[in-house]
Amino acid sequence: MDTIVVIGSGASGVHFALTALRKGRRVLMLDVGHTASEAVRPTDSLNELKRNLPDPVDYFLGSRYESLILPGRTGEYYAFPPSKQHVFKHRPEFQHRASGFAPIYSFGAGGLAEAWTGGCYPFNDSDFKDFPFGYQELAPYYAKVAANIGITGTNDDLASVFPLHGGLMEPLDLDEHSAALLETYKLHREYLKEKFGCLMGRTRVAALKRDMGKRKQCSYCGRCLWGCPSGAFYTPSLTLDECRTYPTFQYVSGLYVDYFRMDGTSKVNCVVAHSANGQTHEFPASSLVLAAGPLCSAKIFLESIHRESGETPQLRGVMDNRQILMPFVNFRMLGRRWNPNSYQYHQVAIAVERGGNYLHGLVTTLKTALIHPLVQTLPFDLGTAISLFRNVHSALGMVNINLPDHRRDENYVTLDVNTTPHRLAIRYRPRPDEPKELKQTISTFRKILWKLGCFAPIRTVHIRPMGASVHYAGTFPMRDKPAPLTCTKYGRSHDVENLYFADGSTFPQLPAKNITLTLMANATRIAEEAF
Amino acid sequence: MNTTQLERECLTYTQYLIGQMPSPYVVNRYLDFHQKLDTMTSLRFDAFDEFLVGVSARGAFWASMTDSYASVFRKDSVVRKKLVVTLALLECAAPSFEALDEVEVRSPMVTSISLAWRAAKYVFLLGSAAVVFTPVRVAMVFSWKPRAEPVLER
Repeated sequence: MDTIVVIGSGASGVHFALTALRKGRRVLMLDVGHTASEAVRPTDSLNELKRNLPDPVDYFLGSRYESLILPGRTGEYYAFPPSKQHVFKHRPEFQHRASGFAPIYSFGAGGLAEAWTGGCYPFNDSDFKDFPFGYQELAPYYAKVAANIGITGTNDDLASVFPLHGGLMEPLDLDEHSAALLETYKLHREYLKEKFGCLMGRTRVAALKRDMGKRKQCSYCGRCLWGCPSGAFYTPSLTLDECRTYPTFQYVSGLYVDYFRMDGTSKVNCVVAHSANGQTHEFPASSLVLAAGPLCSAKIFLESIHRESGETPQLRGVMDNRQILMPFVNFRMLGRRWNPNSYQYHQVAIAVERGGNYLHGLVTTLKTALIHPLVQTLPFDLGTAISLFRNVHSALGMVNINLPDHRRDENYVTLDVNTTPHRLAIRYRPRPDEPKELKQTISTFRKILWKLGCFAPIRTVHIRPMGASVHYAGTFPMRDKPAPLTCTKYGRSHDVENLYFADGSTFPQLPAKNITLTLMANATRIAEEAF
Repeated sequence: MNTTQLERECLTYTQYLIGQMPSPYVVNRYLDFHQKLDTMTSLRFDAFDEFLVGVSARGAFWASMTDSYASVFRKDSVVRKKLVVTLALLECAAPSFEALDEVEVRSPMVTSISLAWRAAKYVFLLGSAAVVFTPVRVAMVFSWKPRAEPVLER
């Protein structure tokens, strides 16, 4: 039996692998694969953890205070918690040079989605406009993924933009603030729809309302931000564990894949990797599936082509969702108690359809996140800021707004061969009219929030740099007609016969919705239909 | 590193921030933070920073005075950083996190009035702090000489 070599254990790689294994195929997965430490005191709630851990600062801030945010630091509101640092642990061999783009990589087992927020939003036909297939073709795979990982959702106003695929579980219990927002929305539904094209409803999240196999239902322990201790919240390493139960699956971690080698007929015949001690390993491959994420997959492809031909092509059309973070205060929730024992990520979504453009907003009601990064940004002394924060804590929320992106030739990745090791070079420029669009978007969402009884201070709105959303896509777009540096609708390269892309590289457009569910469904589709 | 001075800072800042004494664990962690070189590199002092830290450690009132001043005129100052470190330690550990999470349940109107009163107090304290500290700062600007190496320990 031929072995399919898969590179990368992220959301795409593990769903490709699991589907291929279920079809009886033999799979070899190569990965750097940094792993997390075991969950500590898995039955404790967040507050119990603070009481019971011998060294809670080590857990929440890190042994070297790496998650502590001090005044003067620029950039994001929060640092990643110590329990998720393995996701972003670097490999020195991987170097990049970026202009207009701040890329984030993962060499962790399970990839970037080990630190995701669980949003599972199916694309609709409008989102698939540039794809060589539509929603109906992917719907069965959305349902398969939902059945595998557990996705909650319901039939509400958002069903018109988030198609109702099979396999959905009933939603998690709402926290008080999210419930209040939805109640207010019901009072103003017609106005919001008419005036802003705004719909609201429950999010779709990869967290269990009911037990699923060995995974227990969400216990509302409030520890989501530091890593779910019970497996109720899905991450790809759970699917990686499932793959490992197949005798035809081999997972080799600790390897950094450098390039693939081709025979004279433009076919991959071997993958070359090396371990941390510098030892080189070669793996014969009858089919190679790149699922390392668009940037790392591009690096492997470009390095391979450069070694074969001396060429350094530009992979044009790299995309990412621009994100806006908009903190707000809900007047109705002022001075109330807040419950730390609740689900911590988005429970409410806001969809805005404006001039044929879809904007995707996810509302997080702040509960157990550390307060010191926010308190220090208030325009008071810390004593006053704490007093204020205590009273507005239950009323605080944040909308994370995603904007769509489209492939444009001026945005590309290529290989910088003037350094050793070679670097990935990324160039991104936003559309010239982006500032206007951002201004309009911010204004629209502030007005929507105001109608919902919330105030979003303009000075606290944060426009994240390109690259921060880690929804990278578009470097090897699916095309019906063969063209260089593109792939078929089944992810097969038009340039190299037995080379497949199973990650976001193949997306010819990037809607505003979080792409992880579609990545998983598309990888499942490719494994099912092309292998 | 002057451990006694650091302990006094931790004690004073905790009293200022949550009105309690710090647990021995928080004090130890505060000392540990100052021992770690990589975090200390972000705490570079100049003479006025040193002055503010010294004054702030005298008691909760002085901590609030220096913090009010720093919140406007010296946002990234060492005293502000030390206060944020203390806050971060307090929110991670029992029983101090409970003091930070505590909410007085009141109507939105009463809450708003109370917050407005607190803000007014802040404005008054800020004005007073500006009167006290600005002349000191001006005097130090004229008398301060840069050191050859960043000061990592005091």
